Amino acid sequence: MSFLLNTLTTKREVDTAIRDTLDKVLVLRFGRASEPVCLQLDDILAKSSREISKFAVIALVDIDAEEVQVYAKYFDIVLIPSTVFFFNAHHMKMDSGTADHTKWVGSFQCKQDFIDVVEAIFRGAMKGKLIVSCPLPPEQIPRFQLLFKGL
Amino acid sequence: MANLADSFLADLEELSDDEAPVPDEDEAEVGDMEEDGDDDMDDLEALNYDELDSVSKLQKTQRYNDIMEKVEEALQKGSDISGQGMVLEDDPEYQLIVDCNGLSVDIENEIIIIHNFIRDKYRMKFPELESLVNHPIDYARLVKKIGNEMDLTLVDLEGLLPSAIIMVVSVTASTTSGKRLPDDVLNKTIDACDRALALDLAKKKVLDFVESRMGYIAPNLSVIVGSAVAAKLMGTAGGLSALAKMPACNVQLLGAKKKNLAGFSTATSQFRVGYLEQAEIFQSTPPSLRTRACRLLAAKSTLAARVDSIRGDPTGKTGRNLREEIRKKIEKWQEPPPAKQPKPLPVPDSEPKKKRGGRRLRKMKERYAVTDMRKLANRMLFGIPEESSLGDGLGEGYGMLGQAGSGRLRVSVAQSKLATYRATRAFKEKQYGSSGATSGLTSSLAFTPIQGIELTNPQSHGNLLGSGTQSTYFSEVGTFSKIKRT
Repeated sequence: MSFLLNTLTTKREVDTAIRDTLDKVLVLRFGRASEPVCLQLDDILAKSSREISKFAVIALVDIDAEEVQVYAKYFDIVLIPSTVFFFNAHHMKMDSGTADHTKWVGSFQCKQDFIDVVEAIFRGAMKGKLIVSCPLPPEQIPRFQLLFKGL
Repeated sequence: MANLADSFLADLEELSDDEAPVPDEDEAEVGDMEEDGDDDMDDLEALNYDELDSVSKLQKTQRYNDIMEKVEEALQKGSDISGQGMVLEDDPEYQLIVDCNGLSVDIENEIIIIHNFIRDKYRMKFPELESLVNHPIDYARLVKKIGNEMDLTLVDLEGLLPSAIIMVVSVTASTTSGKRLPDDVLNKTIDACDRALALDLAKKKVLDFVESRMGYIAPNLSVIVGSAVAAKLMGTAGGLSALAKMPACNVQLLGAKKKNLAGFSTATSQFRVGYLEQAEIFQSTPPSLRTRACRLLAAKSTLAARVDSIRGDPTGKTGRNLREEIRKKIEKWQEPPPAKQPKPLPVPDSEPKKKRGGRRLRKMKERYAVTDMRKLANRMLFGIPEESSLGDGLGEGYGMLGQAGSGRLRVSVAQSKLATYRATRAFKEKQYGSSGATSGLTSSLAFTPIQGIELTNPQSHGNLLGSGTQSTYFSEVGTFSKIKRT
């Protein structure tokens, strides 16, 4: 939502972003600009975008766009905002004590938390790991209950 | 007291025989004799310290009177720029100005001499005043105003001095140990004060004259600092060429007031600024930048003075350029620093950690190093079961500690290399000094050899070899001279 961050709407754009970000963590936020939690997350992303610009790139993806539904289905995005991390076109997983390791659900409590998470992903990725553990203490991690849709 | 006075009289009368024809040298003697008390001086006719004229002669000299006359006429004539074609040195006005410079220095010295005179005379009346009021002219004015008055509340000192000092003076006067002066001494003192004030006035006139001609003499300098300050600088330096020869740091300090009166705060006194303080550029800079501005000003004005002294630029253009430069620099200092951009964080693990080395780190690491004792305890001999703390293989093993094969239970507390080095040095120093009886490592606790640990002195081996007279080769007590740690 911020004017500093790119919003991606088409599949091609998302593809380009994932492919072309080399040696930097790509942070893709899936969400809607009208939602308050999304707004909060976007604010944090915008503030820290310059600080981590040397090792991370941030982009926003609007899940209301049609072309993006493919990705939403692929990543199994139910709750928003959800953040997915990539490094050199590899999908990075993070174990933060929640059930879902493939993405980060929800917002962060403060900017430093977000930077810590991105740094952990970067370090893990540089070492060649595909899954890293979360550096945040459990209190700072937003918990969500996964209710199955349509059952 | 009478005997003292008589003995002094006797001494001085001897001196007076040699000195009667030359009253000038009195001043030097007088300086030593001040403690005698002025009353004694008055009786001695040989020492003419009594008479103002003997110490202050400037006003009587021909030179002084000539120059003052000329200055008066020149001041009345108004500014008169003589023809530019003339070479500077031939111009009579220039000569007059050069003379004025010399004269102003002389006047200053004269004022100091007279101030000493007044001070000595007035000491009887109000001794503390000289330490409260330093400036000679202020002192003279005060003395004139107070006269022989004992009660200072009757004297109105407003306008002569800043009110803080007036207050201190009044308070001190109420508790002073001085007495009234006799009339003739008083008259002489007042006379001297008048003389001092007249000299001060003359100096002001001279300076005014020089100032009015400043634009002609030193155009560049007066463009930068203003003609009043330029005149003062030139006057104190003793001429334009003298000013030009001074390094800029000296120019900065010309005219700086030195003393701060005892008891007054030094927080307000500005350091290291002289006449330049009165320059307009200096006054208009904010206080935080004043020191830098003063240094800059002194440097550029020295340059201008040098240009002027060789008459390199009579139009004053150099001065204007320099002034512009100064102004620009001061403005640049005042502009706010550029806004800080938030720096992006560095890539994690991209910068290798700077490892430090050196003696300090080595010493720190030694504290955690494995000691010899632990090394011995870690090793074991083949085929020989080790002893342990709880016996029978239970508890901590002792390894080679205390094994017969290793030589001794006495484990030397081997010191680190560093400490060894230090100990060797200290030991060598001690060797030349003490009888070398005991070294600091021998313990007074005496364990029997079977149990416990004895600290051996690793230097004792050195000692044995040190005494060169007896060879230790066949010695029974001597061991290897150099034991390498394994």
